[in-house]
Amino acid sequence: MSMFLELENLKAHFPIYRGAIFRRQIGSVKAVDGINLQLRKGEILGLVGESGCGKSTLARTIMQLIPTTEGAVILEGRNLSEISRRAVRTERVNFQMIFQDPYASLNPRMTVYDALAEAIQTRQQFDKKLLLEKVGRLMRTVGLPANQMRRYPHEFSGGQRQRIAVARALAPQPKLIIADEPVSALDVSIQSQILNLIAKLSQEMHLTMIFISHDISVVKYISDRIAVMYLGRLVELGPATEVVEKPLHPYTKALVSAIPIPDPQVERRRQRIILQGDPPSPTSPPAGCAFHPRCPYAIAACKAQRPELEQKERHRFAAWIRIGEI
Amino acid sequence: MALLEVENLRTYFYTRAGIVRAVDNVSFTLEQGETMGIVGESGSGKSVTCYSLLGLIPRPPGRIVSGSALFGGVDLLSCPKEQLRRIQGKRISMIFQDPMTSLNPYMRVSDQLVEPLLVHDRMSRSQALTKAIASLEEVGIQDAANRINLYPHQFSGGMRQRVMIAMALISRPEILIADEPTTALDVTVQAQILELIRQRQKDLGTAVIFITHDLGVVASFCNRVNVMYAGRIVESAPTDEIFNRPMHPYNASLQQSIPALHKKGQALFTIPGFPPDLTVEFHGCPFASRCAHAGDICKEQDPALKQIVPGHKTSCIRFQCGEIADVRSKNFVSAV
Repeated sequence: MSMFLELENLKAHFPIYRGAIFRRQIGSVKAVDGINLQLRKGEILGLVGESGCGKSTLARTIMQLIPTTEGAVILEGRNLSEISRRAVRTERVNFQMIFQDPYASLNPRMTVYDALAEAIQTRQQFDKKLLLEKVGRLMRTVGLPANQMRRYPHEFSGGQRQRIAVARALAPQPKLIIADEPVSALDVSIQSQILNLIAKLSQEMHLTMIFISHDISVVKYISDRIAVMYLGRLVELGPATEVVEKPLHPYTKALVSAIPIPDPQVERRRQRIILQGDPPSPTSPPAGCAFHPRCPYAIAACKAQRPELEQKERHRFAAWIRIGEI
Repeated sequence: MALLEVENLRTYFYTRAGIVRAVDNVSFTLEQGETMGIVGESGSGKSVTCYSLLGLIPRPPGRIVSGSALFGGVDLLSCPKEQLRRIQGKRISMIFQDPMTSLNPYMRVSDQLVEPLLVHDRMSRSQALTKAIASLEEVGIQDAANRINLYPHQFSGGMRQRVMIAMALISRPEILIADEPTTALDVTVQAQILELIRQRQKDLGTAVIFITHDLGVVASFCNRVNVMYAGRIVESAPTDEIFNRPMHPYNASLQQSIPALHKKGQALFTIPGFPPDLTVEFHGCPFASRCAHAGDICKEQDPALKQIVPGHKTSCIRFQCGEIADVRSKNFVSAV
């Protein structure tokens, strides 16, 4: 069975140059370094990891906003890394993004109507009356009153703006939506409104989505499967609830245990794994497993061998060489 | 006697759009060595409250309209500037959310660290430098003697926040105000920094005012919590009580909207509407229009913080007069 979206050994490296006259490449930042992943239609995949682990670069590589260094992005059987740049432009209607900051991602000089009408017409031109109707319907879908379509973004609150951003992403009827930290800038009470909206729409419209967040409890709530990234590579992949409740990889364990739980009794009982140090730099990743300098279970073999993502249980994958022992 | 006693603090901003009542009649006390949390959403006035104490409110447009803040017999809000300067950074110090914008990018870390010692303690430079290196080691920075000569951009985000903490604690303050100190950091680094603050607080006996929007951090870190909404404290209690026996509907619904407590597929609880516009003067409870328990009385009577059981105060009028016993919203099914 062919998958809806397939990533095959996807890499995005950025060269580092030194010198003005005799410019030479002295290394590269391996932001995305060999990702294999398959998405079914209608699935929501949560992507978690710390800042700098390459989550956003991966998203931009999938959207063909960053050239792939190696590997392939295959959407419905078509390899997007191989088609011409012009073809990519027309293909891009099929991907939409929702960004973190709704203050920065909407054009302040465009009314809501302008922004949505433009997005709707990327596929097909409509006459004014029909367009007006479509914009109105779209606004109601995301829970905004249609009579506010002539307003500018600054007239809306942060949560409402994020609704507009969701509407704009839905407008061209995309095949894939990538939401890059869509609720991180919002307050708790507004965050839950937007999460509800995304969950409802994805179910009703059968959306396929990659949901990026650093907040594992948000990701657990919204997604079907979770992929955990560390320094450009996947370290764990599996069904959302299982990954959070019974993590396989030591990094996932540490990530889950670092999240403060809003219950003082639970907090007092908990054993917290506190990782030492910061994530290493992707310009010179440690040899072997990139996580070994911070890993409480590291052994000599971890320095020598880079573990690949392997199936450990049904639907569950992890990249850890000691998984059988511990 | 309490270490810090804030009473009836009102800080308003006089803007073109009107008077923003950012902090409206806030009172609280801070005891020696305790960790007090202030939680609230953006715009609830939690930062402005603390900025007011340290004289950091830009004037104009801001003005402290009324109130007092007694700290060791000195009123921080009305004392002469000179006196406040001797307290700022010495007996009360502060760390901010973004360590990159609060450290001076043009100054070496060493110069920034010794500054409070040279100014407040009149130490010699070499003495101060020795102490600065020791303070960096205390916050877990290895090879401090060499790294002290670096510039802030040469440190990672977590390391910069460690430098900030070292700087804030170098003159052994009695109060440390931490304004969302871990919000800009990754969760794994957040856990490190929280552990560090806890450790240093234990060593030095410093009282901490911890400003945050994250109820999870509050649960793990604070002894006592003040919940703020629209410039007022709406509930104040020991941490366990805040979570186990909420007495204000806002606090309860805030907790109910956290995704961690929801089953998959179950819709998240949401608070309808938006926080009120603080430029508009209103009567009654500021939360009434969004509250599931609001009655007519809530729109007529101005709420005041009242003690229900020792140590636990709420400003919910209907709870105070016993009309409601459970402030949680009923359309919520707990997953636990």
